Amino acid sequence: MFMGTEKLTHTYMPGTPFANEALKEVTFDVKQGEFVLVIGPSGSGKSTLIQHLNGLLSPSSGKVYFDGNAISSDKRELFKLRRRVGLVFQMPEEHFFSETVYDEVAFAPRNLGFDESEVQIRVSSALEEVGLDAGTLAERHPFQISAGQKRLVALASVLSLNPEVLILDEPTAGLDSSGRRNLFSLLTRLNRSKGLTVLICTHHLDEVAALADSVLVLHHGRLIFNGPAGEIFSRREQLYELGLGLPAVTEILFGLSEKGMKVRTDIYTLEGARLEINKVKRRHEK
Amino acid sequence: MIEARNLAYYYPGEEEVSLPALSGINLAVHRGEYLALLGPNGSGKTTLLKLFNALLTPSEGEVWVKGISTVDEDKITEVRRYCGMIFQNPDNQLVATTVEEDIAFGLENLALPSAEIKKKVLDVASLLGLDHLLQQPPHLLSGGEKQRVAIAGVLAMQPLCILMDEPTAMLDPAGRRDVIETVGRLNREQDLAVIHVTHFPEEAVFADRVIILNQGSLVTQGPPEIVFNDLKLLHSLGLQGPAAVELAALLRKDGFDLPSQLIHSRELVHSLCSWERKS
Repeated sequence: MFMGTEKLTHTYMPGTPFANEALKEVTFDVKQGEFVLVIGPSGSGKSTLIQHLNGLLSPSSGKVYFDGNAISSDKRELFKLRRRVGLVFQMPEEHFFSETVYDEVAFAPRNLGFDESEVQIRVSSALEEVGLDAGTLAERHPFQISAGQKRLVALASVLSLNPEVLILDEPTAGLDSSGRRNLFSLLTRLNRSKGLTVLICTHHLDEVAALADSVLVLHHGRLIFNGPAGEIFSRREQLYELGLGLPAVTEILFGLSEKGMKVRTDIYTLEGARLEINKVKRRHEK
Repeated sequence: MIEARNLAYYYPGEEEVSLPALSGINLAVHRGEYLALLGPNGSGKTTLLKLFNALLTPSEGEVWVKGISTVDEDKITEVRRYCGMIFQNPDNQLVATTVEEDIAFGLENLALPSAEIKKKVLDVASLLGLDHLLQQPPHLLSGGEKQRVAIAGVLAMQPLCILMDEPTAMLDPAGRRDVIETVGRLNREQDLAVIHVTHFPEEAVFADRVIILNQGSLVTQGPPEIVFNDLKLLHSLGLQGPAAVELAALLRKDGFDLPSQLIHSRELVHSLCSWERKS
C-alpha cells in the first residue's frame, strides 16, 4: 500500500459535549503516481482526512499508511513524512510571512537544516518547476505579485522539499480561468513526468475532472464512493442529494439524454462531449 | 443610482510607476439592475467594488452613490449603507457570537432603538430563511448559510445595491446554488441592484448586464448572450465562456446549425434535440 487509511476514525474534542466524529472508519488506498480527487460537501471531513495523510493529526482509531508502513507518532518519523508528503492549504498566500519571494520558498529547506548553497539550488529549481522567473521575482515582496503568481510561490515553497506526494486543498479558489488552467497543467506535468502522486480536495469539478484517475467522495465523515470519475459523474441524482453537483458539460449530456437523445452521460470534457454528439450526427447520416 | 465618471485609481506605495489599477471607467448602475463583473486576476474588479462603497476614494474622476460623492467624508456612512459589501470568505466578515447579533451589528452602529433593531433583524431573517438559526453561533453554520447571514447583515441596512466579491469561491456546490438563488430572488423581489464579481461565467448568465475588465480598463459590456458569445475576445483575455457557449462553438465547426446567441445549457439541449428531430 503506497498511501491510504484503514478504518480511520477521527473525533474532535473527544469526551466533551462538543465531541464531533469528523471521519468514520474511512478505508482507501492511493497508488503511487495516481491523480486523485477528493470531493464532498463542506464539513464532510476532507480537510481532516488530508491532515492525517501528512501526520498533522493522529487517528482516534484506525491506521494511516504511507509507503507500506503505518504512520507512527514518533516525532522524527513524522518530520520525515512531512518532507515526503507536501501539503498546500486553502488560500496559502494568506500565510506568507517573508519579505521576499526567495525567502518564502527558502523557508522549508532552511528549516530542514540544508546549507545555503543547497537552499539556493532548491529554491531556483522549485521556482523554475512552477514556471516563475527567479530573475525578476525572487527579490520581490510576495504581496506585490499577481494572485496567480502568489499561488505558484506557495506551491514552490512545498516543492522545495522535493516531496513524493502533493496534497492541495481547493487549489484554484479565487483564481481566474487562465490561472486555473495554468495550475492544472502544472500539476498534470508534475504528476505525469515527475511521477508525483497528487491528491486534490475541491468543489470545482469542471476543469479538474478530466485529470483524475480516481475520485473519493466523503459525506458526513464516511467514504461513500471510491472509483473512476466517469462512474461517479453518471450518478447525477445521488450527487445532488449529497449537495454536490456535476461538471457543466456532464449536465448538458444529461439534459440531452433526458430528452431522448442516445448519448453517454459519463463524459466531463468539452472535447468528449463534442465527439459524443458528433457520433449521434453520424448515426443519423447513415 | 451609482455612477463612475472618468474613474481612475492608483494604489499608493508601488515603487515602479506601473499601470493604474483602474483607469477611464465610466459606468452607471441602475436601480434593480444585476451586473456581473468578470476579468482576469488583477484586472481591477475588487478595486472597483471598493470604490463603489468608499473603502477607496478615486485617484481621478468621481464615484456618485445616490447623489453623494464618495469623497464627501461627512456622508461616507450613508454611502456604505446604500452599497453593502459581501466578501469572498464568509469567515472574515462574521463578527458576533450568534446569528441574530451578527445581523444586528450594522443596525446597532446606527444607534436605533432596540425594539426596532429586533424587528428589522427578524424581518430579514425570515426573508432569507434564517429564522431557525438566529441563536446559533455563526461558525457552526455551513458555508452557504454563513454567506446568507452576511447578506442578511447587509440587507438589514436597507441598501440600494449589494456588492459581492466572488461570494461563492469558498463554498461547496449546494452552498453556491444557495447563494446564487438567494441573491437572484432579492434582486427580483426587493428591487435590489447587485454587482457580482465572479470567475465563473455560469454564475453570470442570468445577469442583466455583463462587464469585462482587463488591466484596469472596461473592455466590453452588454447582455450576457452578446458578451459571452464573443469567444474570440474572451479567449484573448484568458477567459472562458459558459460551457454551453464553448460546446456550441465546437459543434458549429462540425456543421451543426445552432442559434448564434445561445447561452444557457438548456438552450443548447433544446437546439440539439430539435436538430435531431429534423434529421
